[in-house]
Amino acid sequence: MTAQHPPRGSDAVTVGSDPLSHEQIEQRVQARFPAVAADIAFAELTLFVAAEELLDLLRFCRDDEELSCESLADVGGVHFPAGEHVIERQASTTGWPAHRVSRDIGVVEVNYILRSLRRNHWFRVACATSDDGGTLPSVTGMWPGANFPEREIFDMFGVAFEGHPDLTRILMPDDWLGHPLRKDYPLGGVDTNYKHGKFIPPPHQRDLREVIGDTPAATRHLPLLPGDADSETGGDQ
Amino acid sequence: MSTTASDDFGQDVFVDGADWEVVEDAVGESTITVNMGPQHPSTHGVLRLVLELEGEIVRNVKPVIGYLHTGIEKNAEYRTWVQGTTFVTRMDYLSPFYNETAFCLAVEKLLDIEVPERAQTIRVILMEFNRIASHLVWLATGGMELGAIGMMIYGFREREHILDLFESQTGLRMNHAWIRPGGLANDVTDDFVQRCEHLLGLLPEKMREYEDLLLDNPIWRERLTDVGVLSAGDAVRMGVTGPLLRAAGVPADLRKAQPYCGYERYEFDVPTQDSGDSFARFLVRLEEMRQSMRIIRQALDILPGGPVMVADKHIAWPAQQSLGPDGIGNDPAYIRHIMGESMEALINHFKLVTQGFTVPAGQVYVPVESPRGELGYAVTSNGTNKPYRIHVRDPSFVNLQATNLMSKDRMVSDLIAIVASLDPVMGGVDR
Repeated sequence: MTAQHPPRGSDAVTVGSDPLSHEQIEQRVQARFPAVAADIAFAELTLFVAAEELLDLLRFCRDDEELSCESLADVGGVHFPAGEHVIERQASTTGWPAHRVSRDIGVVEVNYILRSLRRNHWFRVACATSDDGGTLPSVTGMWPGANFPEREIFDMFGVAFEGHPDLTRILMPDDWLGHPLRKDYPLGGVDTNYKHGKFIPPPHQRDLREVIGDTPAATRHLPLLPGDADSETGGDQ
Repeated sequence: MSTTASDDFGQDVFVDGADWEVVEDAVGESTITVNMGPQHPSTHGVLRLVLELEGEIVRNVKPVIGYLHTGIEKNAEYRTWVQGTTFVTRMDYLSPFYNETAFCLAVEKLLDIEVPERAQTIRVILMEFNRIASHLVWLATGGMELGAIGMMIYGFREREHILDLFESQTGLRMNHAWIRPGGLANDVTDDFVQRCEHLLGLLPEKMREYEDLLLDNPIWRERLTDVGVLSAGDAVRMGVTGPLLRAAGVPADLRKAQPYCGYERYEFDVPTQDSGDSFARFLVRLEEMRQSMRIIRQALDILPGGPVMVADKHIAWPAQQSLGPDGIGNDPAYIRHIMGESMEALINHFKLVTQGFTVPAGQVYVPVESPRGELGYAVTSNGTNKPYRIHVRDPSFVNLQATNLMSKDRMVSDLIAIVASLDPVMGGVDR
């Protein structure tokens, strides 16, 4: 076969070091998108954007001469379910009090890490969508490399990406039920095809003698797994 | 041999060997879909490629992954921060130190702590040795896939020397869990520098051997030159990083762009090539191994003394170890201290081991330059003793998407070379 060199020229990628400060990026974006909120924590800039403006913002960040974010480094999701959650902080050792977090609606927050190779800066664009059938526009039209990461978020959190060329499960089997990285996904109790038709119940319903069978080991006291209902601290055995 | 008609997908043809003519008649002008994997030895583990073939020409490739999915990200949400190291080191099993370091850097960023210089320098030495070991496996398996069986044996042989060094320091050849949030599990042994020097003396000579074998080898050149060309623009759009991007002429390296662990102190070059084909990747990786040795040499020269773990006893893992008559174990002086002298020390030890430490709430993204490209850890904490979420941006996972772009309209035999040049590690892809 003959050599197939793709055309060059406009395709060239430059690598440099002329980063904009977090404040400059924030001002540049907010001048165009006043509704975008910004937060600087741990020396990282996060821009919070609504789903309606997501594509416009990302396109602006990519095409703008100043921001020049030619690369989408990462797409990842985090699930924050609705309801009241107690955050245990072990006041006795750290002095930080336990506190409650309450959310009216559960969200899956999708974080886009944008990087400029030419300027050598990066920042995060965070976009939240409902965890109950939420959808986001797909960015595969701008960065084809977002294909697998978006499929992973669909697989793990159940967020649908509109306009994705092939939105199917990627890590879990095709016929899997539920989205495992969600916080409301049960630990155990999932109908899995184990040997000899065994069923493993969720941890708090687990009778270990039943699970591992009538062997001498079954009579020993086995510790609870961290994450079990009555083992919140994860290690008191 | 039997054929059945199916409405959507044309004709299904079931073959059991020695009946190629029948298949040819049945297929006619249309393409044929073939499953390569998930157990094919040329696919670097359990990678499945669904090929659409026209004769022997690949028209479309669809990588199907997930066969090695172990749910590490979910599992880590139910373990303490220190236990997280044990999990993440098992993702990309050819570059365990990179997983550990990236995870620990993320935790340290959330904790806002500075790791002692000695620990940082040792991390750099081990990571760069790990890069050499990983590239050796790539050279070995890639060589095997293209018929250079000798290269396979040599590559694994030298890698074993590097793994011996790892084993002497961490106790394990792979999956060390030795780099911990706050520093290292224990200090290196007295003969650490000597062992490193020995390896640095051994490797350049061996690398010349590989070059003698492959660099001017006509078969090796034929199979790699102009195969799997990926332009710089396409690479960036596909999110491809690491040696693949550098082989396309882009000198992008996170060690230079956003130094961590003190990489700004070392002098090294970022090797690039212009052609963007598989042979360019081979040259880039060879040169990267040389640059790694350069970094290790400098790091050994400046290796400072001092502690290898932060002083804060709320975070530092209580593992004072020493060499006894029966091997490495807990330091008797430390055991005496917690068991006989100080109730408070015992309580602190117990609490750290069973509950771990708490980490302030927030989210960070920490990327490092792994042998395969940008390995990023997006770690979210809600202020407890366990991670709220660990998201890993694995370079193999992202790079694998470029398979179709690189192998379109090439022969099936080229596809083998292309997947080899990608160097995917399925443990990292499926996590």
